[in-house]
Amino acid sequence: MIQRGADAQIKQGYNAPEVALPSATGDTVRLSSLKGKVVLLDFWASWCGPCRVSNKGLAKLYPKFKDKGFEILGVSLDEDHADWQKAVKKDKISWLQVIDDGGWESVTVNKWRISAIPTSYLINKEGVLIAMDLEGKELEKALRQLLGE
Amino acid sequence: MKYAMNMIKRFFIFCILLLQLQTMEAQFTRADLQATGLTCALCSNAINKALGILPFVASVKADIKNSSFSIVFKPGASVNPDEISKAVEDAGFFVGSLQLTGTFSGLEVKPGGLVKIGQYWFRFYKPGLNKLTGQTVKLMDKSFLTAKEFKKISAGAVPSLKTGRAERGMEKDGIKSGERIYHISN
Repeated sequence: MIQRGADAQIKQGYNAPEVALPSATGDTVRLSSLKGKVVLLDFWASWCGPCRVSNKGLAKLYPKFKDKGFEILGVSLDEDHADWQKAVKKDKISWLQVIDDGGWESVTVNKWRISAIPTSYLINKEGVLIAMDLEGKELEKALRQLLGE
Repeated sequence: MKYAMNMIKRFFIFCILLLQLQTMEAQFTRADLQATGLTCALCSNAINKALGILPFVASVKADIKNSSFSIVFKPGASVNPDEISKAVEDAGFFVGSLQLTGTFSGLEVKPGGLVKIGQYWFRFYKPGLNKLTGQTVKLMDKSFLTAKEFKKISAGAVPSLKTGRAERGMEKDGIKSGERIYHISN
């Protein structure tokens, strides 16, 4: 049971731990730099089928909210940067993308205690974790609330 | 001083002999495992973790290109395949295939296709097979194949495949009746 406690995922109501990872150009993108926006932090990988399906949904949702103070920060666990970029192109990803190329051993996975992908966190303008793994209509509903629509 | 040097020398010779003995014994060094389940097995860290804590496992790595898990065993450790399948099942998945790689050179295969590797007995799943070719064997028992594949290979297989246990009459080979026997193919 102690192990379970230690393995527990990050909880809602808490401040989001920092994410500082390189984008495709090598520039470091920081989660904290997105304060003031509602952020969906999305963990995925090119080899994860369900993640690729989820990307399709996000590609439809993103244009609806991006000009209203919403951003998606995608964190790929791909070890091969080329695979990552190929998937980004294929899934028409236009939101922020960074990579932590250690797979399940990567630092961010450890820090956020990610045990499966896709996993996503919805973070409010103050950087507080609001919800986990929201999709489709539920995600849209939460976004409307958080963006004060 | 001379006595001490002698002792050290003897100790080293002893160590070298011990090392040679160890390398001579047939052992599994690594494995490739495919997991099946309702969701994408590689997308979960659960299998990695469950395999990683087995006492004989040195490391586990997801092999994305082959959709499998590449397992390296601790040198000299006794590899227990049933514990591997149990770990995968506890993580919420099933083993779709398990291939074990090791050093089998000079290993004697008894009549009946029986061979001892590490601590356990292995038997060719089909009668008539008795040659270990290559460095890798595939486990053919129920808990290491998909249900469909197991059904397919069951027809014409040796009788012990059904139970995974030694039959009566194997005592002459030094195998107790009811002892665990794993079934393999090259």
